[in-house]
Amino acid sequence: MKPQAAPPSISVIVPVGARRAADIGALYREYRSNVAATGATHEFIFVLDGPRPEARRALETLLREGEEFTIVNLTRNFGEAAALTAGFERSSGGTIVTLPAYPQIEPADIRKLLAGLSTADMVIGYRWPRHGNALDRARRAAFHGLVNWVTGARLRDLGCGARAMRRQVLEEIDLYGDQHRFLPILAMRLGFRVSETPMRQSALDRHARIYRPREYMHHLLDLFSIFFLMRFTKKPLRFFGMLGAATFGVGAVLIAYLGMDRLLFSEPLADRPALLLAALLLVLGMQVFALGLLGELIIFTHARGLKDYRVEEIIQYPDAVAASDSGSDSAPADPAASPEMRATAPPAVTA
Amino acid sequence: MSGAKSTTRDGNIDAAQRTASPRGPGLAPRLSVIVPLYNEQESVRPLYEAIVRALEELGRPFEMVFVDDGSKDDTVPVAASLARHDSRLRIVKFRRNYGQTAAMAAGIEHANGEVLVTMDGDLQNDPADIALLLEQIDAGFDLVVGWRHNRQDKLITRKIPSRIANWLIGRVTGVPIHDNGCSLKAFRASLIKRIPLYSEMHRFIPAMASIAGPRVAQIRVRHHARRWGQSKYGLSRIYKVLLDLMVIKTIASFASRPLRWFALLSLPLFALAFFAFGQTAVDLLMDGEDAISLPIAGSGVIFLGSALILLCSGALAELIYARGDVRDREFLKLTQTILAGPRNPETDRAL
Repeated sequence: MKPQAAPPSISVIVPVGARRAADIGALYREYRSNVAATGATHEFIFVLDGPRPEARRALETLLREGEEFTIVNLTRNFGEAAALTAGFERSSGGTIVTLPAYPQIEPADIRKLLAGLSTADMVIGYRWPRHGNALDRARRAAFHGLVNWVTGARLRDLGCGARAMRRQVLEEIDLYGDQHRFLPILAMRLGFRVSETPMRQSALDRHARIYRPREYMHHLLDLFSIFFLMRFTKKPLRFFGMLGAATFGVGAVLIAYLGMDRLLFSEPLADRPALLLAALLLVLGMQVFALGLLGELIIFTHARGLKDYRVEEIIQYPDAVAASDSGSDSAPADPAASPEMRATAPPAVTA
Repeated sequence: MSGAKSTTRDGNIDAAQRTASPRGPGLAPRLSVIVPLYNEQESVRPLYEAIVRALEELGRPFEMVFVDDGSKDDTVPVAASLARHDSRLRIVKFRRNYGQTAAMAAGIEHANGEVLVTMDGDLQNDPADIALLLEQIDAGFDLVVGWRHNRQDKLITRKIPSRIANWLIGRVTGVPIHDNGCSLKAFRASLIKRIPLYSEMHRFIPAMASIAGPRVAQIRVRHHARRWGQSKYGLSRIYKVLLDLMVIKTIASFASRPLRWFALLSLPLFALAFFAFGQTAVDLLMDGEDAISLPIAGSGVIFLGSALILLCSGALAELIYARGDVRDREFLKLTQTILAGPRNPETDRAL
């Protein structure tokens, strides 16, 4: 894409959250010079997620110095996914690049990210070579192993904030909560091509991180939510039904055993606490199953808006060589057909 | 399978039906043939030729919608080369593999005909049978299901499980169909376009359609052994079918009155609670407080509590239905017959 006048070809979105560079101005200059080096027109959008007075002061100073970028200031901390969405709504570029607000990768590698877009709809960076102690590595390996196993993806660094994608990707993804981490997985689910590219880890990012137990918990819950979203959104009963049936089954077996004991060996039921357990399991199984039915009902009553599939293109040639003698295609049965009609979009950036 | 003949519909469809009622061959409803394709590069061309041969004999205007479900082989190029010479062929290409239900749903969405015929892409159905299906549609049926009476598949892994499944589906939905798995079906577009299809419902299209109370006909169709490629749908696991059946039961009989469904589920729990409390009361009255069995009384409490929670779930389900966008009244419109006496031309016109 050649540099052109009005809308820039690249929109860079930097969500500024709790974790941010001490000197955001310096980071911005580095990012800018490297994006500019690709020769494409670009715009920068900083999204301040909550009141970040010193970041805002630094950015305003830059604005006064004549730098051109947009600041979107959110009134409270909405989370990175929301910040990205807010930035995206302000953006106009055909290519969206997200960059972390702290030195995580070598800015010089941004061009690799953009170059990757010629063969993919979305490119995400992974820090390589990666520094960190054994514990850190083990934690990462476990997390990514689980994610890849659950989603069938093959990703190495979901925590990397450097991503580049065609505008269409973000247009179609409904991002909420903490799903920014799973952006590539959500994109894959919609049928976009996602690739990874190695980026050198910034020297400032090389310290070992200490995570609090709460964060492990959050990671795990995120994983569960993505697991559920990927596998069972359209068929909740598959999930709840299995779980419920298994619980119910265990309870039923236990009840049967107790009943046999009572009938065959006259073991009185009355003083068997196992009866309580069996009843509990039975009931729990039914409840979980009922939750699944509720889920199905939600899906069914909203099935109008659901679309399971994404159409890449529709191929039909208007009356070509041997036009049909029956003349069927000129009949104006439904002029508003093929609302999905969309040409294959061109590859986004060839910097 | 009662063959109520003349059907009058509401709105535009009504008008269209009336003008078309003295059916010459030119006035017959437009026909769309929908074929989901997944890695069928060898089958595409013979399939296309067979369909064209069969339908040109009929002398009706028709179109073909081939839905490519993210094939990894040359299915799309082959189909596209066919489309280049035939404007009646439309190819809907998915971005990735979404499964057969999605392919059917996409085909139905992108078809413009008044009668839609679905069939398999692997040449196991014979396009020559389409004529038989259409006869039934012309006779006033809304849904015609093919029935592979001499099925060319493996007995143990394919035929027996499907026979059991069909029997179960018939019992649960009250629409006894011999062969739900046969893809060769014909629908009135006005009906099937309004039926939500998602998840893996393609096996249950007649059952799903039963929410609209269609007039269903079944006819025997030919079934050929697979010539090319692998069978993509192996022994479907029984639990999936069972859970899907549960979903269909929930949707078809109870979507508009979910509280009843949940109340029905909670009945056995109420009964168990009643017995447990009865036993406790008897113990209490006969032998005093020391004779009460804690496990039995506890089980009673659990059963009662759970039954109440199930009822609450039912209330929640009512809420979901009330806020959803699917209603019985739109389904009944799809199949209703309006009889108006000829002696009163005023009301007739009002319809």
